[in-house]
Amino acid sequence: MIRLEAVGLRVGTFELRDITLDVPRGGYGLVIGPSGSGKTTLLEAVAGLAPIKSGRITVQGEDVTNRPPERRGVGVVYQRYHLFPHFSVADNIGYGLTQSRHLKAERQARVHELAAGLGIEHLLERGVRHLSGGEAQRVALARALAPRPHTLLLDEPFASLDPATRQDMRHLLRTVHESQGITVLQVTHDFDEALRLGDVVAVMADGAIVQRGTPEEVFRYPNSAFVARFIGAANVIAGMVTRSGSAGIDTRTFPAEFRSDGLALDVIADREGPAHAVVQPEDLVLSRESHASSARNHLAAVVLSMERAGPLTYVHLDAGRRLLAAVTTQSAETMGLAAGDRIVATVKATAIHLV
Amino acid sequence: MRRMQWGHLLTAGLGAVLVLFIVGPLLRLLFRASPAGLLAAFQDPELGQSIALTLFTATTATAIGIVLGVPLAYLLARTRFPGRRLLQGIIDLPVVVPHPVAGIALVLFLGRRSPLGGALAELGLEFVSHVPGIVAAMLFVSAPILVSGAREAFAAVDPHLERVARSLGDRPWTAFRRVTLPLAGRGVLAATVLAWARSVSEFGAIVVITYNPKVASVFVFDRFTSFGLGAAIPAAVILLLVALAVFAIVRLLDTRELE
Repeated sequence: MIRLEAVGLRVGTFELRDITLDVPRGGYGLVIGPSGSGKTTLLEAVAGLAPIKSGRITVQGEDVTNRPPERRGVGVVYQRYHLFPHFSVADNIGYGLTQSRHLKAERQARVHELAAGLGIEHLLERGVRHLSGGEAQRVALARALAPRPHTLLLDEPFASLDPATRQDMRHLLRTVHESQGITVLQVTHDFDEALRLGDVVAVMADGAIVQRGTPEEVFRYPNSAFVARFIGAANVIAGMVTRSGSAGIDTRTFPAEFRSDGLALDVIADREGPAHAVVQPEDLVLSRESHASSARNHLAAVVLSMERAGPLTYVHLDAGRRLLAAVTTQSAETMGLAAGDRIVATVKATAIHLV
Repeated sequence: MRRMQWGHLLTAGLGAVLVLFIVGPLLRLLFRASPAGLLAAFQDPELGQSIALTLFTATTATAIGIVLGVPLAYLLARTRFPGRRLLQGIIDLPVVVPHPVAGIALVLFLGRRSPLGGALAELGLEFVSHVPGIVAAMLFVSAPILVSGAREAFAAVDPHLERVARSLGDRPWTAFRRVTLPLAGRGVLAATVLAWARSVSEFGAIVVITYNPKVASVFVFDRFTSFGLGAAIPAAVILLLVALAVFAIVRLLDTRELE
């Protein structure tokens, strides 16, 4: 369990402000944000490596605000691994074990157990200078896990790995996390990773958390245009909301029209005035002709180009302004979609999220 | 292509002049000493004493420099604080002070008539014309070499390594001892040897503060002015050999680091 309450700190000219975050025991938390937003500093604050100015940090039920890093029981894996260059792989993994009067045999057993679990037993006697990225990553992970921390902090652990290794490492990490019940807080700039791994997501910008929630919540309901753009919601449209009908049963919301250059959409709104409309690419349904349905927006569009990404195909559209739709590759083939085609893009009023 | 080759030739030619200029005088000196003269010099108790004194004072000055300067070097490499650049400038200051000027300043600062020198003399620690004066002069001229060398060695060790060590259960001192010190150790040692060599080769500041007892450089100078070139050569050769030995050790440490 990791809890940060109104944590503030300053490193040089860089500042973290009012950071509040809660990752439940055994949970997997993700901090995402662009580089320079303070993600790594946040991890270092949890580990006790960056002294905080205000607020409180609780780890595993204990207030560790004033505890030095060596007594927090928190493991850290940095983005660039930072293996000790003057030690072998085995001595790197065993580094955290030597201090606490571990018997030599016990220590060796632990090192071998971890290395076997991570598939790096054959590397144990080697130096660390010539390891591949994936190997170094595993060694760094084993080293952090060796003293059995209750909490693991990961700084962009997959950033410098090739896609196949990244997939393996994600799987490995998930397994480690689930089998050992470790609480994990990971920093990433990749929202897909958050969707795949996280129970809790916090989006950071300029030293503050701008939104937190489950990945689904953040992805579906970004609370600002910044978050929407950052998490890769491809269609973020700035425009104006005007009321078009009276409030429904739920009195907070009402039917409205959202207008932007060359585009008018029926939406469900809770306020009038300037807003951003967020439409997920997979919520744009493409068809050859329009099916009459009052609850839907029908947009005449021209296919500009198509991008195939495995089972999904991204379709770039011009519907008076550019939009991105995602359809299954199979249906794109069935429809015989091609650049230059005139089609109809349909989106439900309820699938348009206004922020 | 041809043009570049001419450029290379020119560079090599100019460089060769400089290399000859360095090697020439030293070789000439080495071969000018007659075996008989060297033998006599080795048996000269005064020369032996002055070399022993030089090694002793240089080692003492270096030891003091390590105690006072290496922690400071670590601080300069690792932390950001107001006035850090100024402090670094002050440490480097002795490099630009002409050595006799440094000697005069030290005499004024540590002489019996200064408040500090007077107080220390009361306690039995005299500098001017005494051995501690030699150590003070050596420390003054060698401190910048030791501190900046050690600072660079520490700065070359990624600070994240120490942070990882802390997260794995090390106290600050343990993390320093297990991670930073082994990784910076060779660089710090090289800086130490260079500072020691600087102390051994010092003349200008020492000759002002403590002419007697004579360190080796003062001894050579004294032979030269009192008895002429011929009398100075054997002592000069022996001093040169000591310097070359130190130089060889430093180079050995350096190449090991490169591998």
